[in-house]
Amino acid sequence: MKMFLKLAMALALVFSFAHAEAAELLNGAGATFPYPVYSAWAFDYNKVTGAQLNYQSIGSGGGIRQITERTVDFGASDAPLTPEQLGKDRLLQFPAVMGGVVPVVTIPGVKAGELKLDSNAVCNIYLGELKYWDDNTIKSLNPKVNLPHSEINVVHRSDGSGTTAIFTNYLSGVCPAWKNKVGAGTSVKWPVGIGGKGNEGVANYTKRTPNSIGYVEFAYAEQNKLAYTLLKNPAGNFVEPNFKTFEDAAATANFDPKKHFDLWLVNAPGKHAWPIAGATFILLAKEKTDSNKKVVKFFDWAFKNGDKKAKELVYVPLPKSLKDKIRAYWKANGI
Amino acid sequence: MTREQIRKTEGFIALTLSTLAAFMGLFWLVFILGDVLVHGIKALKLSLFLNDPAPPGVEGGGLRNAFVGQLLITVCATLIGVPVGVLGGTFLAEYARGRGIARIISILSDIMVSVPSIVIGTFIYAVLVRPIGHFSGWAGAVALSIIMIPVVLRTTEDMLSLVPWTLREAAFALGAPYYKVITQVVYRGAATGILTGILLSIARVAGETAPLLFTSFNNSFFSLDMKQPVASLTVTIFQYAMGPYDNWHAQAWAAAFVITVFILLLTITGRLIIRWRYK
Amino acid sequence: MPRTAKKNPVDNIFSLVTAAASFSVIILIIGILYVLLSESSLAIGKFGIWKFLSSTDWDPVKESFGALTNVYGTAFTTLLSLVIAIPVAIGIAIFVTEISPNFLKGPIGAAIELLAAIPSIIYGMWGLFTLSPIMSNHIEPFLKKIFGSVPLVGILFQGTPMGIDILTASVILSIMIIPFTASISRDSFNLTPSVVKESAYAIGATKWEVVKNVVIPYSKLGVFGGIVLSLGRALGETMAVAFVLGNNHRITTSLFDAAATITVTLANEFTEADTDIYLSSLFYLALVLFVMSFITLAIAKFFLLRAEKKYSR
Repeated sequence: MKMFLKLAMALALVFSFAHAEAAELLNGAGATFPYPVYSAWAFDYNKVTGAQLNYQSIGSGGGIRQITERTVDFGASDAPLTPEQLGKDRLLQFPAVMGGVVPVVTIPGVKAGELKLDSNAVCNIYLGELKYWDDNTIKSLNPKVNLPHSEINVVHRSDGSGTTAIFTNYLSGVCPAWKNKVGAGTSVKWPVGIGGKGNEGVANYTKRTPNSIGYVEFAYAEQNKLAYTLLKNPAGNFVEPNFKTFEDAAATANFDPKKHFDLWLVNAPGKHAWPIAGATFILLAKEKTDSNKKVVKFFDWAFKNGDKKAKELVYVPLPKSLKDKIRAYWKANGI
Repeated sequence: MTREQIRKTEGFIALTLSTLAAFMGLFWLVFILGDVLVHGIKALKLSLFLNDPAPPGVEGGGLRNAFVGQLLITVCATLIGVPVGVLGGTFLAEYARGRGIARIISILSDIMVSVPSIVIGTFIYAVLVRPIGHFSGWAGAVALSIIMIPVVLRTTEDMLSLVPWTLREAAFALGAPYYKVITQVVYRGAATGILTGILLSIARVAGETAPLLFTSFNNSFFSLDMKQPVASLTVTIFQYAMGPYDNWHAQAWAAAFVITVFILLLTITGRLIIRWRYK
Repeated sequence: MPRTAKKNPVDNIFSLVTAAASFSVIILIIGILYVLLSESSLAIGKFGIWKFLSSTDWDPVKESFGALTNVYGTAFTTLLSLVIAIPVAIGIAIFVTEISPNFLKGPIGAAIELLAAIPSIIYGMWGLFTLSPIMSNHIEPFLKKIFGSVPLVGILFQGTPMGIDILTASVILSIMIIPFTASISRDSFNLTPSVVKESAYAIGATKWEVVKNVVIPYSKLGVFGGIVLSLGRALGETMAVAFVLGNNHRITTSLFDAAATITVTLANEFTEADTDIYLSSLFYLALVLFVMSFITLAIAKFFLLRAEKKYSR
């Protein structure tokens, strides 16, 4: 017993010293969509400045919840909050990077970019109305692809997610049945399918399950070598998810600082615009001025030095004009 | 067939099935352990223990933060859980011996041992994370210690009860007050038993994931600051195994290997001590 | 305190400290109940008790929540895992106590105990990487072929075998609870007085008849307690099933469907619930789970205590 007490004292002593040495640490949590790029930025930022930015991908719903509860220094969400919501919870919001959500499939014999889908097909698959891959709706879009007569295994997110918000916003925009039955949000009541946790979880389940379809952020599709599909956009063209089509979607965006940049990028009218594009947002607690300054310093650094890294990971960096708008927004809010 | 033969056949079939069942139990153990071993050793590299995690796509990351964090949380949980458990068990076996309240607490502890650990996680989130304003290593340690207390408490009670009452009487006869009798005579007599209980309780909590998810959270950097989120092996395994990257999977296997070996060693040590001391 | 002890100030303090430490268990239980109740009060107020328990809604967009899909998933996986685990566990207990040559008793007993010590996250991970592909490629298509078209039973084997479903989760759960059930059954079997067994042998009973007619009836209280205890354990298991259940908030009948248990829903959605009512509903779920497992474990304890009393007589 005495031995134990001595050990306890010694350890307590060690810890009290350890505290003093701890490096500057910022905690952020939220969207899984930008996780690869945030963690890559944080890795580089740590090398340059020594400051630690711990970003955990727990889902956009979680990002909103945890910053509302003030348990983290910043939250991240792919779903922009409305100015009313931000006002109610005393939050600030700005976009950090853009990207796109892509449907991915694992069908034996079907390669990336081979399968063409339109909004009607995607909507009916996720509604559970379209049950087989060789259904006429899909076949008529893909006369040349050899589709198996197998059931479609639908994969979706199990957690509150901005990727889901972007995806369901897209579906609600193009498909009245979806809007009435399910609606849009960070998590919804799915009519069919299995749920994976995070973009990682959906990618993992889709990869492992034959004849499946899922939706993930493009970077996840690329890194996991998942077979993405082509989509028909509102202008009537089948487009491939890539920088050009994402940028085309972003080009039509008009972010307004007065509305805290609240804007969706889905179903953009551009000729080559990818229909499921989205920006991802950072949320700050208004009264946490100290940590806000540090968070903003990090993003300022990332805006200056992080574009190349972002592109490597297949994210679309914000245009310069928007970055300037954001810097002005920080200043206006006293950060 | 005669009745005799039917009885014999029935017996033969039933006993064969039982034997098969026993070997099925062995089979699962060998299967799971073998799998963890094979995949784990393949991914075991020195860099795993020396480096901190790198972002997806960057080679050469390790899990140093998670190894140290797990150790830190477990040690802190032990520092909280063991004293409370041992003292609580002392009360039940000594001061309250034979009283109704001792019985009730003892039964409640037995139930607490099996209460879903994820519920304890939500409880700690509500009392230690949200009010304080951030996830912290301490919250994780407290959550684990709550799981630990009833285990240690019950083994201490049992072990102290095994110490012969005459031993205490001998000490009383020398004029020693009860607390001295307990700390200097009874504890000494039950020391190995209590130690075993502590070892087994550490083995029990070291593999817990659910109560850490919303308490100590996770941290992609190396940190010794228990007031901040701390990485743990188990939460990291959950994140990495669910993730899509192959090198994450490999690291998850390696981490699983280390934690399994650690826990099995603790368990085996505990069992050997019991065997050696009480049989 | 025994009469022999003298009153002593230090002794008073020490006894108070130990008393406080042991009352911490009661305080914790009350504290957990109180916190879960107060955190879920919003959801209790909005959905009531019966409506919450009987509603299959889990709709964060319309902010309408019910526990039934989660309770159903929990009950389904738990019961199925018991169905798989009980025969195996009792078989193991019979083997170890009655059949096994002495030199095998130790190793098999130890193996079972080690199986119990492996952390649940390892089971979960192993389930995802190793068991799930085996299930989806071999076992489930096989089951579907045999039972899929049988009336009534066939309902259980519909749909595409994906390996991330109720069956896989239940198999993993059953592997996890086999050790508990087996070791309690073994201990109960061992308590059968050898005089009773020997007299059964003396009148010509076979080994199996002794087990069936003497050992099992004699120890059924303890075995039953062990089974209920395993049930309590399985109810609260999180990580082993979180990997392979697929998080699906619907009532499904096929073993090849994804489902959600209370624990998995908590693990997946707790840090992520964005609205107050969502979070409150999750606390409400945690409360339901706490009460469910508390009652189950109390029942188990009741039987085990009765068994103990019976044997010690």
